[in-house]
Amino acid sequence: MAKLQMKRIEILALLESSKEILDLLQVKGIVELNERVECDFFTNLNTHSSAGLFQKHLEQAKAAYDILSQYAVGKGSLFASLEGRREITVTDYLQKSESKEMDEYLQQSIKINLLDKSIKEDQIELAQIKTQKEKILPWLALDIEAQTKSTAQSKVFVGHLPQAYRKEELEENLTVLLDDESFFHLDIIDTEKDRTYITLISHDCCAQDVDKGLKLLGFSPVPDELRGIPAEQLKALEDKTRALESGIESKTNQIKELVVCLENLEFLIDYFSLRIEKYENLEKLSIGNNVFFINGYVAEKYADSLAKELKSKFSALVTVTQPDEDEDVPVLLSNKPFAAGVEGITEMYSLPGKDDYDPNPVMAFFYYALFGIMLSDAGYGLLMVLAMLFAKLKFKLEGNMKKTVDMFLYCGLSTVVWGALFGSWFGDIIQVVASEFFGKEIPSLAIWFEPVDDPMKMLLYSFLFGIMHLFLGLGIRFYTLWKNNQKLDAVLDVVPVYLLVTGIAPIGAGVVISTIPDSISSLGKKMALIGALLIVLTSGRSAKNIIGKLGGGLYALYNAGAGYMGDILSYSRLLALGLSTGVVASVVNLLGTMPQNKVLKAIMMVAVFIFGQTVNLAINLIGAYVHTNRLFFVEFFSKFYEGGGRAFTPLKMNTNYLKIKEEK
Amino acid sequence: MMENLGTILAVLGAVIAAVLSGLGSTRGVGMVGQAAAGVITEDPSKFGKVLILVIMPGTQGLYGFLTAFLQLVQLNIIGSGFEPVSLTKGLMYFGACMPIAVVGYFSAVAQAKAATAGVGIVAKKPAESGKALTFAAMVETYAVLALLISILAMFSITGLNI
Repeated sequence: MAKLQMKRIEILALLESSKEILDLLQVKGIVELNERVECDFFTNLNTHSSAGLFQKHLEQAKAAYDILSQYAVGKGSLFASLEGRREITVTDYLQKSESKEMDEYLQQSIKINLLDKSIKEDQIELAQIKTQKEKILPWLALDIEAQTKSTAQSKVFVGHLPQAYRKEELEENLTVLLDDESFFHLDIIDTEKDRTYITLISHDCCAQDVDKGLKLLGFSPVPDELRGIPAEQLKALEDKTRALESGIESKTNQIKELVVCLENLEFLIDYFSLRIEKYENLEKLSIGNNVFFINGYVAEKYADSLAKELKSKFSALVTVTQPDEDEDVPVLLSNKPFAAGVEGITEMYSLPGKDDYDPNPVMAFFYYALFGIMLSDAGYGLLMVLAMLFAKLKFKLEGNMKKTVDMFLYCGLSTVVWGALFGSWFGDIIQVVASEFFGKEIPSLAIWFEPVDDPMKMLLYSFLFGIMHLFLGLGIRFYTLWKNNQKLDAVLDVVPVYLLVTGIAPIGAGVVISTIPDSISSLGKKMALIGALLIVLTSGRSAKNIIGKLGGGLYALYNAGAGYMGDILSYSRLLALGLSTGVVASVVNLLGTMPQNKVLKAIMMVAVFIFGQTVNLAINLIGAYVHTNRLFFVEFFSKFYEGGGRAFTPLKMNTNYLKIKEEK
Repeated sequence: MMENLGTILAVLGAVIAAVLSGLGSTRGVGMVGQAAAGVITEDPSKFGKVLILVIMPGTQGLYGFLTAFLQLVQLNIIGSGFEPVSLTKGLMYFGACMPIAVVGYFSAVAQAKAATAGVGIVAKKPAESGKALTFAAMVETYAVLALLISILAMFSITGLNI
């Protein structure tokens, strides 16, 4: 199991069965169709206009769905997205999609959009009315029409002055500015901190003079939008507000009543998505007068049965061939759950290229192991396992979500194992509870040893795991080159590095531990020397002259030395992250034991434990994930992996809400 | 005072380790957080992806804390059986704390810059967010190395008889 072998499939069939054949391919979901090749004998189908119409309907349905989900309880939450898709058989799906109900669904989606649009318009109008009302409020006491400018014999000034005045004060101020014979009648309607709202009446004969005086005081007339008697206008606006509000309420209720249609909209969205995808793929057909032609890729294991089915159902000519060397064949991975868990990690880096093997089956074990060493707490591992099992039992997981859950399940299991080896169960909670509450001293629970007691030992083991990991990567390089008939390259690229690193390792370890027997370190010296010589002598083999060969060899030795040393040192993060999980977990436990009183201590411990361990778990979970990825992307993949593959994207039932199943 | 000078220096070292790397992480997480908040205004569904980037420069603070804590345990200030250490040993303890203190501060800030740029990757090409993580994780290597040397030095110093 690994990278599936791809075959090229070519179908030539009668034009009249083109849609049916495409339907069949879409339901099967195992063929990736290629773009049409330009050719004189065939034309192509232009589906832009129909696809455009479907797109419009799809957007409408999606908008309606978003509107409805605001009113539906429990939709759009994290758990809802885990609940999986509704199952429906192909026959039921086709029956439903051709029934009259579809029109009804479409009408529902249009109605919801219209209602929502009209609610939004009403809300805008409400906001406008609110600002209008605010403008009227100071004028409420005005009992004439606001825009009154004159009567038969007099001029009327309605407006405000930019200052607060008392009546006598204003009369006095104005009189000073006017001619002696000018007179007027002033009413103050309202005063604010820096404003006075007034009406002023003067006889026609002195109106001009009064007007001038008022202007000097900064008078501005009442705004144009104030019409009629303000109190009446306010009442009218309030009536309108009430009408709009009840309108919004009834429209909202209408939408709420349509919440039951949510499933219809889901069907509609999936239906249009499928139609659009199919129509886009129809453009890939090469169309002649009576026949059409199409080609694509299909996995070898499905190819024959598909060809047989096509031939028996339609009058079609189907050929299955081996793709050419230089074709851009898409990559489809197929692994057992244990290895499929890390497919997402590989995909994040790059899919396997043409000459690569699928790395997932060999990397899965190490991925889980390294993750476990970094998280290294059995309690945390147990929590992960329980959470992932719960997710698997409770929800119908599919595709990438299922792979991710599987990955964390295995990571959790590995964490339990390493945690038990290192004796860390939520830090040292068992020992702490035993000694604080029962006065019993429990010795270390470690099956192997506690890294915090002997960090040096753990550091050396980290390097050892690192060397094993790197050697595995190199081994895959060897295998790939060998299978590719580059046997000499396979031996010369890999064996000298094995010798060099294996030889230097005991010497390096000897710096910190003195118990390495002399025989081993002297053997190591010899191995390293042979390895180094081999690298110098053979790595420059592609250069043309002897100086180039030697120069290339020396450079390769420097690269191998510095590169592998850096790579191996990088695995020290296994120790660092492991320590940081365990020690912080123990600190949390210690904080909980601070009160002297036993009851208080118990309460404090529970509270600190739950909060502290949750935070620690979250931080270290992310740390372990990120750093395990790094060890694979930077240290491991660089040894053998080319990448650059293109993902297989078949024409299929690409749905969000429905899971359309083929009947057996 | 004089007899405790060694202990004082050792505690000072622990405090500096916690403070400097904590400061670095504070700055770092803040920087990435700002960039992440910008992405969330456009697309709240990317929260999970940017959150990991925001947390990344936070680990240095944790490393500084870890070093300080282990140092206080080594000095028996946390726990029981306190005895003052010699001036020589105290100075050595002080020195042992310096790698994570200094490297912790600067690597947190540098990692924050890489992570902030990574937030840009998540915003424009969410499918490539794994690569954004890898770039930020590269910086962390040096904080991890500094932490290791601080802890290993500290444990080794405890074993010395001076």
